[in-house]
Amino acid sequence: MNMFKLVPTALLLAASASAASAQSSDTAGPLPITGNVPALCSVGTLSGNGTFPLGVLIDTSTGLLRGDLSAPPQVLSAAFCTAQSTITVSATPLQSVNATGTPPGGFSRTVNYTATASGWTATAASFTTGAATNPAATQSRTTAFQGDISVAVGAFSTGGGNALRLVADPAYAGNVTVTLAATN
Amino acid sequence: MRARTPLILAALLAPAIAGAQSSASQDLGVNGNVPGSCAIGAPRLAAGAQVNFRGLNGTTLQIDQMVDPTTLSTNAASAEVRFEAVCGFPHRLRVETQNNGLWQVHERGNAPPEGFGYAVPYRASVRWADENLRLNADAQIRRIADSQIYIANNAIGDLLLRLEIDPGATNERANAPLLAGTYGDTLRITLEPQQ
Repeated sequence: MNMFKLVPTALLLAASASAASAQSSDTAGPLPITGNVPALCSVGTLSGNGTFPLGVLIDTSTGLLRGDLSAPPQVLSAAFCTAQSTITVSATPLQSVNATGTPPGGFSRTVNYTATASGWTATAASFTTGAATNPAATQSRTTAFQGDISVAVGAFSTGGGNALRLVADPAYAGNVTVTLAATN
Repeated sequence: MRARTPLILAALLAPAIAGAQSSASQDLGVNGNVPGSCAIGAPRLAAGAQVNFRGLNGTTLQIDQMVDPTTLSTNAASAEVRFEAVCGFPHRLRVETQNNGLWQVHERGNAPPEGFGYAVPYRASVRWADENLRLNADAQIRRIADSQIYIANNAIGDLLLRLEIDPGATNERANAPLLAGTYGDTLRITLEPQQ
């Protein structure tokens, strides 16, 4: 019974092909046109010089970390991501560059701080050096976005405790990294 | 035979802005400096180490009974003073006496009478960073005198100053009577960072 039904269908397809070839005009198409936009991110243009100059880190009358340390924020202008994205901030503590040995008792060669990147997500991404965990270091947004990112440092503290003095060194250095990543 | 050619036009949007990638990063430096500095706190008398001193008034140590009423010569006296101190750098410890002994504050123009003492020697000892520094203010000549030592490490803790006046000590012979007057000297203790 199944064989009987197959025969007329095959005949119908053959007839149709024969009629098409008899037309005088021809068409081509449909022509599918496709494109894609890859997920791209750019951190934009840095408006400052790319450093947070803190100057003298200690109160020279006590040798203890200054309580009023500050530096102007750095702005990443016209940063963008063409898709949903994450912003991640990470940082390394300020450490003495030349005096690399283990400090004697009562001294430290480390200054911890919190780096924040705001403007990209409702909650700023933040990273505290010396912290056991940094759950707020990565923040997500669900839409493409273009805007400025303000990066700041603050909440300074002496590694090992604020009762420790910092060893003298003409150079203490740390680093902040801001990363935008598309998450398609 | 008619031929149909499906055409697929594929367009790829090349990155329009240099540096745009699926992820992008910016590094920012954080820098500062810690100058070589030393600090010395306010003096405080070490408990139980005070003999014949009235105590500490600000930064002034006052001897209680400078003269032994029976000999009219110098009474023994001693005191220990502590200073909280810190140096975040190798440094030099220096102790300086302004007069090289306890001398009369108001000197008389004429020569002192023979046989009387008119200055009192003393010893100053400083213990700091496991080092000892001693200054012997012998009161032989009124002048600035100092003693110093190099400390190769950072240091933090108590700087201990001990002052000692021997009984009968004068700039003349031992147990010479002292001329009446007010005697004094100024000590300076300096912690100075060294490169």
